[in-house]
Amino acid sequence: MILSGWESVFFWVFALAALIAGLLTVMARNAVHSAMFLISTLVSVAALFILLGAEFIAGVQILVYVGGVMVLFLFVIMLVNVSAEERGGEELFNRPAQVTAAVCFAALLVFGLFYAINKSAGQFVAGGADANAEERADAQDQSRRAREAALKPSETGVSKISEDTQRVGGSLYRYGGLPFEIASVLLLVAIVGSVLLARTAKQELAADDVDPKVAEELETTGELTPAEVEEALHAHDLQV
Amino acid sequence: MFSLLFAPPNFVDDLLLKLFSQETVNFVVWPFIQIGAVITLIAVWALYASYLERKISAFMQARLGPMRVGKWGLLQPIADAVKLLTKEDLMPERADPYIFRFAPYIAVAATFLTFSVVPFAPNWGVITDVNIGLLLVLAVSSVGVLALILAGWSSNSKYALLGGLRSSAQMVSYEVSMGLSLVGALMFARTLSLSGIVGAQASDSVWFFLYQPLAFAIFFVSGIAENNRAPFDLPEAESELVAGFHTEYSGMRWSLFFMAEYAAMVVVAGVATTVFLGGWYFPGVLRLAGGYNNLYVFLSLFVFVVKCAVLLYLYFWFRWTFPRYRYDQLMDLGWKWLIPASLLNIVWTGLTVFTVQALDGWNNIKTIESLKGAPNLARGLNLTATGKGVAIALGWAGLLVAALFLAAVNWRSRDFNLKKQRRQVRLVDVPKGKPAVATTAATGEG
Repeated sequence: MILSGWESVFFWVFALAALIAGLLTVMARNAVHSAMFLISTLVSVAALFILLGAEFIAGVQILVYVGGVMVLFLFVIMLVNVSAEERGGEELFNRPAQVTAAVCFAALLVFGLFYAINKSAGQFVAGGADANAEERADAQDQSRRAREAALKPSETGVSKISEDTQRVGGSLYRYGGLPFEIASVLLLVAIVGSVLLARTAKQELAADDVDPKVAEELETTGELTPAEVEEALHAHDLQV
Repeated sequence: MFSLLFAPPNFVDDLLLKLFSQETVNFVVWPFIQIGAVITLIAVWALYASYLERKISAFMQARLGPMRVGKWGLLQPIADAVKLLTKEDLMPERADPYIFRFAPYIAVAATFLTFSVVPFAPNWGVITDVNIGLLLVLAVSSVGVLALILAGWSSNSKYALLGGLRSSAQMVSYEVSMGLSLVGALMFARTLSLSGIVGAQASDSVWFFLYQPLAFAIFFVSGIAENNRAPFDLPEAESELVAGFHTEYSGMRWSLFFMAEYAAMVVVAGVATTVFLGGWYFPGVLRLAGGYNNLYVFLSLFVFVVKCAVLLYLYFWFRWTFPRYRYDQLMDLGWKWLIPASLLNIVWTGLTVFTVQALDGWNNIKTIESLKGAPNLARGLNLTATGKGVAIALGWAGLLVAALFLAAVNWRSRDFNLKKQRRQVRLVDVPKGKPAVATTAATGEG
């Protein structure tokens, strides 16, 4: 990716926004504030995808992560009482063991990042830093501009239409069909499993249209004690 | 005025070019003019939608509605706006101040952002035309849910929290069927660009509503639910939740939520118009304009507004016709009826497109126009009259298929009992008094 003009301005703005919001995500005391900063990070990353020319991925990033995953996150946070940490002034993650673990993990990440950069730099620029680097960058820039100029104008002629979506669709279903299907089966299993796990025996008894045989059977099999069955059956009775 | 309408296409452009360079005009001046115009128009609409709402409800209940301020009460919205602006901006004690103040802006921004890709008219009637137009509309409008949840949570009020929870569950559910119902139309248009979709309908001179009656119905019903409009206005059900997620809001922040709601209605109506009703395209408009570019744009804009207005009237009509759904009925409608129907629509449309393509060349039937040169993806399927007839017939037959399919899917869904199912699984071959084993397979040896 070679940046020029306004592109570089946008890149730095969104890259810094993503980093700072990511940092604030782990530093915020309130869980909902954390979620908000995480949303800011995700939106900034989506903007970076647009700079890379991957509009489809950017759209899906917003649709899935911000519109779907983060909404469910907030849903859970609102239902769980998290006020204890945010009101108190005690330090949350500052014990020696926690700090050590975090520093080790950060060091690993930094090492991995430098390793990856060095490796890819070796690929693109043979023999490390050479005099031709700038020339190559210019050539890459020009070829990218030529590609952009070759795109056909949109219906209204106000912008250029890239083939990004078609490319994603084509390669996903042509070369990635099996992994795609496996992922969807995995999600289905997760949905069915979560429904089964969420309904415990006590919850079933608490439903108002419970079959009396179920209570009887749970008692005889010893899954619940008679007292527990009695309690669950009358869990939602009105206290007049 | 008339000189502007019949001016040569570049009249305004030439004027601007005297002041700025070509690049500035294309990428800064024009977009700002368009954005300003759209924001102004939508804000005026949001103002007068409340007037329309009251007038139409009055019409349906044989009343007069607002009549005091101005002729026919036409200045009522202005009086309301002044009242709202001068009201005190209250915040509950121990509310989250940052999120409480920020939430209305998310609602407004998410809604107004979608207008950037809606094609109001050809040529300069569209702000930007991107390849992911439809995806962007869905993505940005899904961000609007956040505003409702955050408003409900930050108010530190039980009614508001319940409203926020309901809205998140409702909007997440209905987003699915809304997105899936558009896939069928995309198979005919073969592009996600909204202007491209209109172009595909214009070049085939057919509205996708004719190919996709089922998808249109699903999209519009999901759209009403997505906007939290009656009969799906559970997040703000006044009989149970006072006012739902905006219970604690007052003054201008409260009216921002309403502005977002009325603007979101236009987004749904605009996308429904663009995808299913041909957008700004109407047969004969191009000939009527007689080569005057600006006149053509204005006439197309008029066509678009009329189509939108019909759909928006349906919103008001539904509001005063149907009683509010109960929460479980709402979830039933979303998950048991609309989502299976939209999935069926995708399969059925795939079969339709396949049939139309397979029929081409069989027994001298010609369904697809042969094009010179490379096929243009953004130009749709290029069907002949026969091909269109087959596609329309199969599309409407899809309604019957969907009815049968939904009846089969939901057959005895009312008395489906998860508890009973689990008991049957658990009790296979288990003698009374012995501990049960969780799976049927393990109990076989006992």
